[in-house]
Amino acid sequence: MDEFIPQFVGFARLVVLSIVPFVLAGQGTMLGGRTGLFNVAQEGIMLLGASLGFLGAYLYGGLEYGVLLAVFAGAIGGLALAYFTTTLKMNQFVIGLAIFFFTMGLSTLFYKFVVGVTLQPPLIPTLKDLPIPILSRIPIFGEIFFNQNIMVYFAILVSLFFWYLLYKTSFGLKLRAVGENPKAADSLGVNVGRMRYLTAIIGGMLMGLAGAYLPMVYTGTFTAGMVQGRGWIAIALTFFGGWSPGLILLGSLFFAGVEVLALRVQVGGFGIPYQFLLMLPYLATILTMIFAFKWIKAPAFLGQNYDREKRSLS
Amino acid sequence: MTDINLPSNSKIRLAIANVMPYLLAVLASFAASGIFIAIMGFNVPKAFATILFTSFRTPNGFIQTLLKFIPLTLQALAFTVPLAAGKFNIGGEGQLIVGGIGATAVGIMLADLPLPILLPLVILAGVIFGGFWAAIPAWLLYRFGINEILTTVMMNFVSFGLIDYVATEIWRDPLAGHPTTIPIGVGGELPMLISSPPLHSGIILIIIVAVGVYMYTNRTSAGYELVATGANPRASKVYGINTRKMFLLSLIIGGCLAGLSGAIEVSGSQHRLIEGLQSNFLLLGLIIGLIAKGDNRAVPFVAFFIAVLEIGASGMQRTMMIPVEMVFIVEALVLLFVLLSDVIRRR
Repeated sequence: MDEFIPQFVGFARLVVLSIVPFVLAGQGTMLGGRTGLFNVAQEGIMLLGASLGFLGAYLYGGLEYGVLLAVFAGAIGGLALAYFTTTLKMNQFVIGLAIFFFTMGLSTLFYKFVVGVTLQPPLIPTLKDLPIPILSRIPIFGEIFFNQNIMVYFAILVSLFFWYLLYKTSFGLKLRAVGENPKAADSLGVNVGRMRYLTAIIGGMLMGLAGAYLPMVYTGTFTAGMVQGRGWIAIALTFFGGWSPGLILLGSLFFAGVEVLALRVQVGGFGIPYQFLLMLPYLATILTMIFAFKWIKAPAFLGQNYDREKRSLS
Repeated sequence: MTDINLPSNSKIRLAIANVMPYLLAVLASFAASGIFIAIMGFNVPKAFATILFTSFRTPNGFIQTLLKFIPLTLQALAFTVPLAAGKFNIGGEGQLIVGGIGATAVGIMLADLPLPILLPLVILAGVIFGGFWAAIPAWLLYRFGINEILTTVMMNFVSFGLIDYVATEIWRDPLAGHPTTIPIGVGGELPMLISSPPLHSGIILIIIVAVGVYMYTNRTSAGYELVATGANPRASKVYGINTRKMFLLSLIIGGCLAGLSGAIEVSGSQHRLIEGLQSNFLLLGLIIGLIAKGDNRAVPFVAFFIAVLEIGASGMQRTMMIPVEMVFIVEALVLLFVLLSDVIRRR
């Protein structure tokens, strides 16, 4: 029993550390979705973010350069989505998939052009922990939540900020109205197109950042396909969290928990073939969807383009 | 456009009007990626010549292209058939893998059976297993209304664990360094059409399947219901089509087609299950399906073009050291310009 508390703290700390990619990509998805833009390019944008996040740090010798590049690439991805769907009125899923191909191809291409093929992949120094004074000294709780790297705090603050923005400001009300009923929002003077551009770009930036977290914290290097479905899981998380920032933050604990658990059991070796443990996060995601799609309401205009010259809404 | 009794020269004009955007899209994407290649400091004409002509310079190159064309066509159809009903099947990869597992399982367990019995069983097992793997997300959509994009993708990741288990635990080949199963029975191998360079008879099967899929979606009333569901689900429902059943059916057909591609990889090319047999066929299949704009008649032609590009790209990597991923950018640009040509035409 003596060993239980430190073990639990270690596990919980790792879970909180692992929520970041899910939270950032999930909030990015949520933000776009709340204006009716359904981005399905997370996986690709995150890969590009991971690649550029690594390359920026590798080339210029500082993680902040990697972060800047990754966020910039994500913004371009979001801008492209908004332009093709909102301005050119093309199908959101088709464009999302196209951006997914593009960003995925670019991620490996950039890496190969800069680093080439090497036996030993080059490494960047990973992000250091930043304990918060006083708070980090609270027993158990402080160790789990306030002895983390800066991105963990950022992910939590972004979630709280979005919650405030969406539910406590008139801007947030307008933003939500665009996703629920763009025609009504339009008639009240909300610029539907501009709102969609804004959320798509900021959402893309968050996805790029989510990708950059992987080499910065987990591996110190980039490998093809290293996002491992986290982008797709982030979409699931967004549905699971009912497209609301607070619940997405809470839900991310579940998805990160399953991820860490699968790794832990694998290391512990409980006689379960590791292949089945690797499936765990994806099976858990499918299971949660059964509940999410039963209880939770997505924005009414999710995935649909708005054309003010059209009479009917659907 | 819909007038059937067109004079012959306007029919030709119509064909040109349909093909023209594609040609322009290819030209535009080559121009755009040419700039990129030039910035990277490579010889642009030589790079393009390698991309376009590697498939046609040697018999081996052409056969390699055909062998790539087979899974690409099937993966694209696995995407376009559900797309016709308005559903996105992004799970072709998992369906291919599980189809391959099914084909291998039958091929190993019944290894002693003669070819006329074993071969059909191996192929059928691939089709059924692939269909089953797609049936899970299809059922979740039917029963709980869960978005099929998410679940089909998740099933891909689940299948990665499954193939690793099969290839390292159940039928592991101890002599292979990479996770690989022991070979299937000789009777389960697709007969060769040409022995050197090897071309298996899967190519004939593909042509039959591609024509069959086209006939089904465009020439039968059952297929028409499927297409109508995708075109206007509400109107179809009012008309009396069970649209939810159509979604279910379309995804399962897609899974069967992807499963078939797994069975052909096992039975035709590898004669065993090798981890990673799915290559990047899923993504290329999606690109092909989208470039073809979901038209099943266009899919085989686009698939052949993409197979040429892929073989050319590996030639380019061998001889010019340009990373093979470059071709992905070219393909994505072709898709982009094809989509854009639609927008321009609409205005």
